[in-house]
Amino acid sequence: MTAMLVSASAAAPAGVVPTDRAGPVLVVDGLKVAYGNATALHGVSLEVHAGETVALIGANGAGKSTTLRAISGLLKARTGTITFEGRSIANLAPDRIVAAGIAHCPEERHVWPGMTVEENISLGAYLCRSKAEVQRRVGMAFHRFPRLRERARQLAGTLSGGEQQMLAIARALMSEPRLLMLDEPSLGLSPKMAEEVFEVVRSINAHGVTVLLVEQNIHNALSVASRAYVVETGRIMAGRRSEDLRGDPDLLRAYLGG
Amino acid sequence: MDLFLQYLANGLVIGAFYALSALGLTLIFGLMRVVNFAHGEFYMLGGVLGWFVTAHLGLNFFLGLALVAATMATLGWLVDRFLIERVRGQGEEPGILLTIGLSIFLVNATLLVVGPAPMKVAGAFAEGPVFIGPIIVTKLRLLAVAVGAAAILAAHLLIRRTRLGRAMRATFQDPMAASLAGIRTKHVYAATFALGCTLAALSGMLLASVYSAQASIGGLVSLKSFVVVILGGMGSFAGAVAGGLLLGIAEAMWGGYVATGMVDVIGFVLVILILLFRPQGIFSARAERA
Repeated sequence: MTAMLVSASAAAPAGVVPTDRAGPVLVVDGLKVAYGNATALHGVSLEVHAGETVALIGANGAGKSTTLRAISGLLKARTGTITFEGRSIANLAPDRIVAAGIAHCPEERHVWPGMTVEENISLGAYLCRSKAEVQRRVGMAFHRFPRLRERARQLAGTLSGGEQQMLAIARALMSEPRLLMLDEPSLGLSPKMAEEVFEVVRSINAHGVTVLLVEQNIHNALSVASRAYVVETGRIMAGRRSEDLRGDPDLLRAYLGG
Repeated sequence: MDLFLQYLANGLVIGAFYALSALGLTLIFGLMRVVNFAHGEFYMLGGVLGWFVTAHLGLNFFLGLALVAATMATLGWLVDRFLIERVRGQGEEPGILLTIGLSIFLVNATLLVVGPAPMKVAGAFAEGPVFIGPIIVTKLRLLAVAVGAAAILAAHLLIRRTRLGRAMRATFQDPMAASLAGIRTKHVYAATFALGCTLAALSGMLLASVYSAQASIGGLVSLKSFVVVILGGMGSFAGAVAGGLLLGIAEAMWGGYVATGMVDVIGFVLVILILLFRPQGIFSARAERA
């Protein structure tokens, strides 16, 4: 507790040094991914440290989502290593990566439209064999997202975009991940709803879950993340603390056209 | 009137087998999007294997049924993992070609091993009529319908109530989301294909206890199962049951009142009518993924 108080009040270190409390949990090094003959990632390297929220920012098609999809095992890595908590997870099946402690909340939510909200949530804990434990986690999800409790029996396909995003996040948390990867959680949402989603992300992070966030809205991304990597055409062009990036309009303009 | 009731009863009996067989197809066709032209051959194999274990090996009917179910589930699993897996996610045409090839292989392999003669599954007990009011049904038919109904109920409970069933529904609604939740979608596909094969084979064995099994029956069974699936709506459980009963009754009425020679035409007439007036099928609320 004392240590946390001290580190919170200490002067922030300058440069690319992460706001780190316990060393890197996720290390991606030289990751190359290709769709057929088209190379999507040309050697991406990044680190995420325990307790951080890190954003990947960049234009559409830069390779942000592809990076997440490779980490969660949906795509095969051609070369490069992915290490989570000191263990290589490159090219494991997605279910093994979920079991290792990484949850990936995909772009466009991908809730199961023909299932109820409650079924969607409880299936997020598919790998948990204990019914009582799943029930406990469902209870926690409803506690965190009271709106979803109101809609527990409703089919997920009938929810609004914002509610579906909350449901997708709630489902991803059901595996009790230590690293949560969120892909464009504000996509298609009103500014007010987007702010609600980012408030949820902050609170998840405050509860000790490390977050890796992909976001096109740079303002939102930098307001949540402590650090960000700028991705362009399948490469990491820069890695900076959020306030440094905010203070560097030239860099932002150069890579993001903003 | 008595004659009408008798036709109705005959129709319901046949319809129950159509429903069971179509259930297997609707799982594979409606949910996995594999147009399985080998479906009728799995049905045929169920009958031939049923004959082999009961009439040839002399096993008890129910033991034989369990053995056939287990064998066909294994076969279905292997077919999916080693054949269907290769064409998954490449549209429907490769799957069609693959299952047509598989059906040709299965028919000819069966012809080679057991020949073209009809084979009768040894029933659970001797043939004997049961009188229900004015209707006459044989005991074997009643038993076969009861076993068929139990299989339908079991499949329903499997999909609605079990962990595997929830994984199936999740996988078919959104395979990527299922993977990210930790579901091994490869296993789910294989299990679904295995279940579809098993239901077809059970139907084949039950019907072969009433009539007989024959290596060449598969093509007609495939077509009728497609008819039932289109009638009821793709992927619809209740639809497969209702469609099966409807087809059975329509055939029995047509055969009884119009002409026995053209019974197999009636299903296709129904399909044309359904496609004209209610293309999503009787039970689907809307045309999904059309």
